[in-house]
Amino acid sequence: MAENPIRRPMSLSQLATRSFRRWLTPLGVILLILFAVIYPQQVDKQNVWNLFFLICLHITMSQSWNILAGFAGQSSLGHAAFFGIGAFVTRTLWLNNDTPFALAFILGGLAAVVFGMLIGAPTFRLRGAYFAIGTLGVAEVLRITVSQNIPFISTMPGPLIASYDLPPRYYLALGLALAATGTAYLLLRSPWSLGILALREDEEAAQATGVHVLRHKLLALALSSFFAGLAGGVFAFQQISYYPSAPFSPLWTFDALLITFIGGLGTLIGPVIGAIFFILVRQQLAVALVEIHQVIFGILFIVIVLIFPGGLVEVWRRLSRIRWIKNPFWRK
Amino acid sequence: MSIESFVQTLVFGVFVGGIYGIAAMGLALVFGVLKIMNIAHGELLMLGGYVSFWVFTTWGMDPFVSLLVTIPMLFLIGLLLDRLVYRHIVTLLGEEKIKNSMLVSFGLTLVIQNLAQWGFTADERAIQVAYTGTGLNLFGIILPYTRLGSFAVAIAVTLLLHVFLRRTYYGKAILATAEDWEAAELTGINIHRIYMMTFALGASLAAIAGTFVTITYGISPSIGIIWTLKALVVVVLAGTGSILGAFPAGILLGVVEAVSGAFIGSTYREVIGLVIFVLVLILRPQGLFARK
Amino acid sequence: MTKFLDIQSINAAYGDIRTLWDVSLQVNEGEIVALIGPNGAGKTTLMRLIAGLHKPTSGSVQLADAPLHTLPAYEIVKRGVILVPEGRRLFGGMTVLENLELGAYSSRAREARFKTIQRVFELFPILAERQKQHANTMSGGQQQMLAIGRAMMGLPKLLMLDEPSLGLAPLIVENIFEIIKLMNEQGVTIFLVEQNARKALELADRAYILEQGRVVGTGAGKELLHNDEVRQAYLGFAPAARK
Repeated sequence: MAENPIRRPMSLSQLATRSFRRWLTPLGVILLILFAVIYPQQVDKQNVWNLFFLICLHITMSQSWNILAGFAGQSSLGHAAFFGIGAFVTRTLWLNNDTPFALAFILGGLAAVVFGMLIGAPTFRLRGAYFAIGTLGVAEVLRITVSQNIPFISTMPGPLIASYDLPPRYYLALGLALAATGTAYLLLRSPWSLGILALREDEEAAQATGVHVLRHKLLALALSSFFAGLAGGVFAFQQISYYPSAPFSPLWTFDALLITFIGGLGTLIGPVIGAIFFILVRQQLAVALVEIHQVIFGILFIVIVLIFPGGLVEVWRRLSRIRWIKNPFWRK
Repeated sequence: MSIESFVQTLVFGVFVGGIYGIAAMGLALVFGVLKIMNIAHGELLMLGGYVSFWVFTTWGMDPFVSLLVTIPMLFLIGLLLDRLVYRHIVTLLGEEKIKNSMLVSFGLTLVIQNLAQWGFTADERAIQVAYTGTGLNLFGIILPYTRLGSFAVAIAVTLLLHVFLRRTYYGKAILATAEDWEAAELTGINIHRIYMMTFALGASLAAIAGTFVTITYGISPSIGIIWTLKALVVVVLAGTGSILGAFPAGILLGVVEAVSGAFIGSTYREVIGLVIFVLVLILRPQGLFARK
Repeated sequence: MTKFLDIQSINAAYGDIRTLWDVSLQVNEGEIVALIGPNGAGKTTLMRLIAGLHKPTSGSVQLADAPLHTLPAYEIVKRGVILVPEGRRLFGGMTVLENLELGAYSSRAREARFKTIQRVFELFPILAERQKQHANTMSGGQQQMLAIGRAMMGLPKLLMLDEPSLGLAPLIVENIFEIIKLMNEQGVTIFLVEQNARKALELADRAYILEQGRVVGTGAGKELLHNDEVRQAYLGFAPAARK
């Protein structure tokens, strides 16, 4: 049976009339959030804070990539550029220009959006593979330029290191991950969702039915770059010292790709479970040889792309055989 | 800058362009025939380089001679990869095929690069043959034997490829499949066999380029992505429909890089290529050499 | 006459959209069978399915009682079922000679290709003239001849043609249909899809009518030519005036 590609967002009253089972999901979300807030506090161990921090950071990176690639269908390989710009602007303003962190943080995100808009307009004309390699090329230009011009490591000044506290950084990352996921959720239920999802299905058909293609692409890009830039800002806040070109590394893009695919491209929950799975498994495997865990992820990724393109969400769907179509939390 | 040093720079640009060209032709072949984007192409290049290094250190075989070992080995690896992985993707259509191939080959990049790192360690390896460091001196221009030899072999390989593709029955079948795979099927061509052979051929070309890289620069597990990108830039410059045109496009890139590097400074040499790449993509996506 | 091509209850779909519904038809050895019908009826889909470019969801295609629908396209060509596709689909960047050579790619045809090419040149002298010319520089009619010639190089037992008259001037269409008839007289079974219903029915021994993915009628070519409904639907005749 063909799925209706146009799914109307549900109103609150429709949600309210659903069965109890449907309320289990929002309840589960709330419990998860409470767990994320309380558990690290209770345990208060450095490696737990770190682990949860990494998970939240990657949730944001994947969710933001997912908005552009999973919802709007524009698979960019230059995502690291936004991350890098956000990190760069935030770090520079905060450490070198005495800007209060909150302001530097927001400006980092906005700088990423500005960059996105600048390259978005010309590169969106490219289709499919060309868009992907074009964005990769742009990101690499950025990375090499930064790496050549600012080769010195960036380190926090002494007093900041002395007063360094991980929990606030974690909660910032957690808040950002929630904001990113929440934004994706709201986007799906907004009037723009139909237009954006239509882009993913068939761009030409969308244009023919009056969807203003560029505008919708730019909206997805704006949100995507904003959150990636903010994630960069969080990174700049958390890292004591790093090379300024490091956040521009394509590995950040690839991690976001991997996680989104493992979790389920185009779903809301995909980046979340993908990040949890990825970070936890990586930590476990990294105990063994460092190189091998990447090999395993590479193979896993290939298997997923070939057999389960829907990622863990699809695996779950097939196992439970529940009809997810009507539930907004799981739907694409 | 004196004329002499300018010509020297030019010559070096041409030489390195030959390596770019061979690497790019391999990628162009795979993209043109199978219509997939193999991001792991650079990894195959890296593997080829390691084979030549290993053959040299174990048996003292001259790297140019070792091509006789490297090419078949990477040909086999190419066959294997096609059978195991890419075979499942070529049945898809159009954009989905390309998207999936990029993802899968990216996964392969991770796998191959990390296996290489685990097996060979991250150290850079180089080959020192008897004639490393020596060369011809032509009117004051130095032509190192290693680079000269690489370029000569590159030219020979390109000519061979040209003859193979345009003058042999099988080669024409490959080009026909690239042009219209359904029409090719309708004339009785087994396109899946063609895909497999072409992919293996692309891997062989990568191996040849990898050997040149080992001779000229040295090799380490992390060079894969850089070379994939390089090959990609050249393929886009040549126009994605053009297989043999990737060789002159490679030389062009080498020359442009070398000359601009001389004037702007070597720090921006890498960037130049990428900037041209992005500009060509946006302004003239059919490539510089396309007929349209 | 022996049953040559036997199509039983073929159902086909493109994704979720059904294109063919329970299609059955037969082509006997030595016949010319035409398939007519409106645009979008599924005629091309059926041709491509028989040629192996598309797989049916159910049903069977058999050639002399051996299943064809399970084979890949190149195997089907080896069995002697060759399609001249809609729009010709030549290898534009290659010469006439190269296109013809590639037509004989399968092993059975390859050995005989030098002889076959002479026969092709006899049938289509213009191709002999323009041997070294690139296929995409030729006119529509010449391209169609090259497409048929290329198919001939495969030594077809059953030659399928999808819209050979498309976009061609009437004189050239005449020429091509004459050649098709000639080929049939030389022993090639013909299965022909045509928009130009009149020409197809004049030429064919038998014909089938396909509408919206279903076979709605069949009969001898001459009969259908004089059939009132067919005349109105496909031959451009106005309904008979009331007496």
